[in-house]
Amino acid sequence: MLLASSCDDYLDINDNPNNPTQAPLAGLMTNSTFETAQNVFRLGDITSNYVQYLASPNPASSSDTMEESSFDNLWENLYGVMTDLNDMILKAEETGANHYQGAGQILLALNLAMTVDSFGNVPFSQSFNFETITPAYDEDNGLYTEVLSLLDQGIVNLSQETVLPVDDDDFIYGGDAERWVKFAYMLKARYLNHLSGTGSYDPAAVLTAIDMGFDGNADDAQVEYFDEERNPWANVAIRNENLFLGGWISQQFIEATNGTFGTADPRLFLLVGATDDGQYVGVVNGAGRGSAPEAGARSTLIPDQFYTTETGPVLIATYFEQKFIEAEAAFNINKSRSYQAYIDGIMAHMRKVGVPEGEIQTYLNSPEVGMGEAAFTMDDIFEEKYIAMFLNPEAWVDARRYDYKYEGFDLPENLNPDLNGQFIRRFAYPDSERSRNGQNVPDVSLLDRIFWDE
Amino acid sequence: MKNKIILLVILVLFQVSAIFAQQRNITGQVTSAEDDMTLPGVNVIVKGTNQGTVTDMDGNYTLSVPQGATLVFSFIGFGNREVKVTDQLVINVTLIEDLEDLDEVVVTSFGIERETKALGYAVQEINAEDISRTKQQNVVSALQGQAAGVQVTNSGGAPGQSARIIIRGVNSLDPNADNQPLFVIDGVPIDNSTIESGGTPRGLSNRAADLNPNDIESMNILKGAAATALYGVRAANGAVIITTKKGKEGVVRVNVSSSVGFEKVNQYPKFQEVYGQGFGGVYDPDSFWPNWGPSMDDIRQIDPNAQFYDIWRDAMRTGTQYDNSFNISGGNKNANFYTSISNLDQEGIIPFSNWGRTSARLNGELRLNERFIVAANISYVVSGGNRVPHDRFMERLVYNTPNADINDYINEDGTMKSRGGNTNPIYDARFSTFKDEVNRITGNLRFTYNVSDWMNLNYLIGTDYYSDSRTSITPGPLGIEGEQPLSSTGFITETRINSRDLNSNLFVTINKDWNEKLNTTLRLGNDVFERDSERVDATGTDFVIPQFYDLSYASQISNSQDKRKKRLVGVYGDLTVDYADMLFLNVTARNDWTSTLPIGNNSFFYPSVNLGFVFTEAFKSPDFFTFGKIRASYAEVGKDTDPYLIGQTYTSPDIYPLGGQVGFTRFGQFGDLNLKPERTTAIELGTDLRFFENRLGLDVTWYKSNSKDQIIPVPVSNTTGFTTFITNAGEIENSGVEMILRATPIKNEDFRWDLTFNASYNKNEIVSIREGIEQIELGNQFGYSGSRAYMILTEGEAYGNLYGTSYQRFGASEDGTHLNEDLPIVIGADGFPVRNTDLLILGNSTPKWIGGMSNNFRYKAFDFSFLIDFRAGVDQYNQYDMFFAAFGISERTLDRNETRVFEGVLADGTPNTKEVWLGQGTGPDGQNYGAGFYRNTYRRLTENFIQDAAFIKLRNITLGYNFQDNILGVVEFVKSARLSVAANNIILYTPWDGFDPESFSAGAGGNATGFSGLGYPGVQSVFFTFTVGF
Repeated sequence: MLLASSCDDYLDINDNPNNPTQAPLAGLMTNSTFETAQNVFRLGDITSNYVQYLASPNPASSSDTMEESSFDNLWENLYGVMTDLNDMILKAEETGANHYQGAGQILLALNLAMTVDSFGNVPFSQSFNFETITPAYDEDNGLYTEVLSLLDQGIVNLSQETVLPVDDDDFIYGGDAERWVKFAYMLKARYLNHLSGTGSYDPAAVLTAIDMGFDGNADDAQVEYFDEERNPWANVAIRNENLFLGGWISQQFIEATNGTFGTADPRLFLLVGATDDGQYVGVVNGAGRGSAPEAGARSTLIPDQFYTTETGPVLIATYFEQKFIEAEAAFNINKSRSYQAYIDGIMAHMRKVGVPEGEIQTYLNSPEVGMGEAAFTMDDIFEEKYIAMFLNPEAWVDARRYDYKYEGFDLPENLNPDLNGQFIRRFAYPDSERSRNGQNVPDVSLLDRIFWDE
Repeated sequence: MKNKIILLVILVLFQVSAIFAQQRNITGQVTSAEDDMTLPGVNVIVKGTNQGTVTDMDGNYTLSVPQGATLVFSFIGFGNREVKVTDQLVINVTLIEDLEDLDEVVVTSFGIERETKALGYAVQEINAEDISRTKQQNVVSALQGQAAGVQVTNSGGAPGQSARIIIRGVNSLDPNADNQPLFVIDGVPIDNSTIESGGTPRGLSNRAADLNPNDIESMNILKGAAATALYGVRAANGAVIITTKKGKEGVVRVNVSSSVGFEKVNQYPKFQEVYGQGFGGVYDPDSFWPNWGPSMDDIRQIDPNAQFYDIWRDAMRTGTQYDNSFNISGGNKNANFYTSISNLDQEGIIPFSNWGRTSARLNGELRLNERFIVAANISYVVSGGNRVPHDRFMERLVYNTPNADINDYINEDGTMKSRGGNTNPIYDARFSTFKDEVNRITGNLRFTYNVSDWMNLNYLIGTDYYSDSRTSITPGPLGIEGEQPLSSTGFITETRINSRDLNSNLFVTINKDWNEKLNTTLRLGNDVFERDSERVDATGTDFVIPQFYDLSYASQISNSQDKRKKRLVGVYGDLTVDYADMLFLNVTARNDWTSTLPIGNNSFFYPSVNLGFVFTEAFKSPDFFTFGKIRASYAEVGKDTDPYLIGQTYTSPDIYPLGGQVGFTRFGQFGDLNLKPERTTAIELGTDLRFFENRLGLDVTWYKSNSKDQIIPVPVSNTTGFTTFITNAGEIENSGVEMILRATPIKNEDFRWDLTFNASYNKNEIVSIREGIEQIELGNQFGYSGSRAYMILTEGEAYGNLYGTSYQRFGASEDGTHLNEDLPIVIGADGFPVRNTDLLILGNSTPKWIGGMSNNFRYKAFDFSFLIDFRAGVDQYNQYDMFFAAFGISERTLDRNETRVFEGVLADGTPNTKEVWLGQGTGPDGQNYGAGFYRNTYRRLTENFIQDAAFIKLRNITLGYNFQDNILGVVEFVKSARLSVAANNIILYTPWDGFDPESFSAGAGGNATGFSGLGYPGVQSVFFTFTVGF
């Protein structure tokens, strides 16, 4: 007995000195807010080539040609954040930290919706708590119910007093519960509006949510970056400047803003760089840069513009996006509200990126933009929202809802032959999932649509 | 607990110390029967004890011996003799020369010497000459092809790069488990781990590479569980028992050896040399694409000065190697010593890759009195070099244009010359450095106390301490207009690894001769092992002053720290019974306690039994049948795991702190709270047959081992909230046959030919995994657009299966798991083959057959030898070939502008007749073929790159000349001199198209050997060596 117990003491050294078994709520909040912004970037980095904001400088690049790619890292990061949020919600619930709980629910809803919008059916109900090692896939439209329910719960939790207020560990709002609630309503409006092509679309419900949403650009949900960790789009621009090529602008985006399809847009000069000759020249997606050299002859992201400032923000959900949602939802209910929201959306985005007031007015006064309520169409909303949502992954949801019908929008060159001459409608399930949870992974093609796109 | 054991032993000691047998001094001389020459250095041991001596320069010995004891005389190259001590005081012995030594002595557990004939299991010895002859600087590589059932694979050709050794197949399914045997030097285990670089592979060393091969006297390979039961969990995969050289009684001997070697790539893939830079057949000297342009003829119409360089051969160098070593040894009756110093400097074939090793060793033994012997061994090694990122180097060669000189890589201002935006690999190799320096001390003390003639006490304590300092630098921009820097920020990473192993082993041996025929030996012991290691990484990014690389002058710093400690305690017993030199029985039992498993599950007991029967002693056999033995064994071994695997934890990612906040995330690994030890059960049957006075010998072994309750980090879906789940899952079965054939076809005064052939066949099966888990992904390697290759464990299938996408086959079963290559390929309506994106089994990366053949010839003063080794029944993922197809580099892509009808059938089963063009863009038929066949189809199918990786190699060929007395007589003090020339890997015969298939990117520490990666190319080498003895 003595022998056994002394031996046990000698061998009792297996407590991990490197990793703690508990995480503080603040630590989970910090990582979840930061990684949510990163996920918006990670997803936008892929979808920006699909919606032709960006184009690869190399011909037939898989990013442009809509090839079947395995986005294992994105998948891991989306589920990584959702796992941490799951833990944060459970721990907050235990300790009565209802603001942490509410913010967790809102971020969980956002990350889940990004996942569903990209992949369709995905695991959720059997996820995170290790009930099974092969979680089943839930239906995409059922998961939307979950998204909306999480947002409602978040609103309730954040509307009450809390024993433990959130503080600077929250990279989005620094613990401002009121703005978290507005953020939840804005997201509610976004996801209800995704249903525009389905029978269950309820534009009135979208407008109701918007009424409780953001009141101005100051409410925008965004994460500003750090001296220690630069904004990821700034990183793309700096790397490109150092000839690690990336962030080249698609000819589609140039033509949408340089006046080819209408009025010249002052935002062009604030969002992308010019060539050495001061020109704005894009690359045709899938075609590559042709005989152009690596620098100076095409427009690219350049450092220190609005989206590429080292300590600048990654935009998660914004007032201007909300305005375009409002314009779309109100279009058949109250056209003058719709038109006003459209004008406000353009204005909010222009102010956000720093267009001088005079130029904003000039732009809005041009007949192609300020066409008046009567001539105003749904196409105008989508075209203007396309410019405002630059680099944001929501643009790919819009493109699919709009069937990629933007003016001048063509299939990329060297299109993936599996697509039979059509645009991509979803991501393939990543290789990691296919090899680890293969029995449950649905058999889908890149042309199979997410439920709201059917 | 350890103290308890010591106490117990001391009590026993006191009780028995009263009983002293009568001792007497025996003297004598040992001579050779053939020529009556005296034999110095002969081992004289009192049978069943560690008590003994060696003969002096004149073959004389003196030994205090209890009455009734038996003296065993043994000497390499001679048969053993046993002489019973009755009442004589002088015992002169003649030994008979016998290179095929019947009673050869092998070193088994804890440095215990045992006669081979007494063993009930297979052991194979490799001697000093076999090791030094290979000129391999890594002792693991030196074993290649020399032992049956032992698979040694170099992970690549980099200086100092790790080599992996696997005995009788893989026992643990865990992709990170060390399936390699335990390395034991002079009775004390040492660390042979390989710590690869994070990020891009750089081919670091396995720690046994720190050993100077010239210090080794012999290596014994203990293959089965039976042989290793006494080392416990750490030897669950077998053991390599290394004995270093000792001084011999007599005059001081000095040996100096110098060698110089040169090496180059032994095999290149087949490249196309027709098409140059550009895409879609359009020439573009700035294109990212190196080889999708027009033919060189067309390019010269545009640019008459354009040239086609073989950048692959141009980028490589001739490697060099200088090896100098020096040793002194000597001794007298009561003490002996051996000391050595060596230095090795090696430059690799990839520019700027190098490695070196400087070692010093002191071995000594002191006999304090008749009963008490103290021995000590200590070595100090400094090793390390600049580790070029071979994977990145080779990948960048893929992207670089053949239309520019790859060696023209730097501008006058120090910036890189880049083409098509691609990094020049030589510039990167030169400036992105990764240097490691290992300072290592291994040492042990051994105390032997002969309590009486039938009992002795041994205590061994050893330590293996090393510090591994690594500095990795990637420069940022130099601040020169228009430069393409290697990194937009630049960074420095300082890594410090400290590791200390402590081993303590106390055992008592009790020997009893019951009568003339029956002898028993009982050994009881306790051993304790502790490994304490720590790693600190500090990374500084964005240098304030370009080219001033110091953590203090970096804009951002991030750190990480990892501490690990593990303890193991074991008690064991070992009983051997010998009857009439005919029947040998050995029973062992052991219990281990480990710190790495949950208390309650951390104690495990395992027994073994083995039996040897020399039937030629028992029955009358024909004269030509010199010796015959059959043997059988049954053994169990337990196996624990790494520290800190149990339960769920959180971690703070390296990126924090940010804005004064520290973020937390759930750690991706979850360890089963009820984790228990793995268990291996092994049975072995074998026979050892010798004929014609040992001129011919055959040793055959059959074995089967089952390892169950495997501790595996099962990669799980990220959607579970974890990435890996560590649990007991699964059982693997290895079975196989090993055969060793030894022959001396010619033997006369001037000429002698010895031949050894070994071959082994191994078959394994994953018997079961675990309820709820059908497959476990062991690892995967990148392939473009669906051509990734996977190693996946599937119940009922073999270990090492490679999975991936394939050509759709007509009539293939929907739920088939194996690719059926005999079925016709399905061709789509567009005329191109259809891809099957389901992952099917495309091959297996575990060799079915391995083996080798060594031939030694001696003619007068000359000796000549060669060693061939082979492996068969093995496939690997050829990642090079995948890149070469995607970038139009392989010879195969020469048909890029041809039109063809793919052989196969349409979806309805009718033959395909549609003619298609393989090229890019618009074909002769006016159709747009996009990026062309190779990019649209060929590169996207794993099947195309799972290839037969079998080989036959002429591993080594050596010609030596030993200077004879008539020459040596000129310089009086020179006792021996030898000149030799050796060549390694000069013949490689393989169906594999690529660099040497003996390469894998995981390094020796990993089990994902199915992926060739962009490995450091294998090399062939030639060495010139001069050795002088004084």
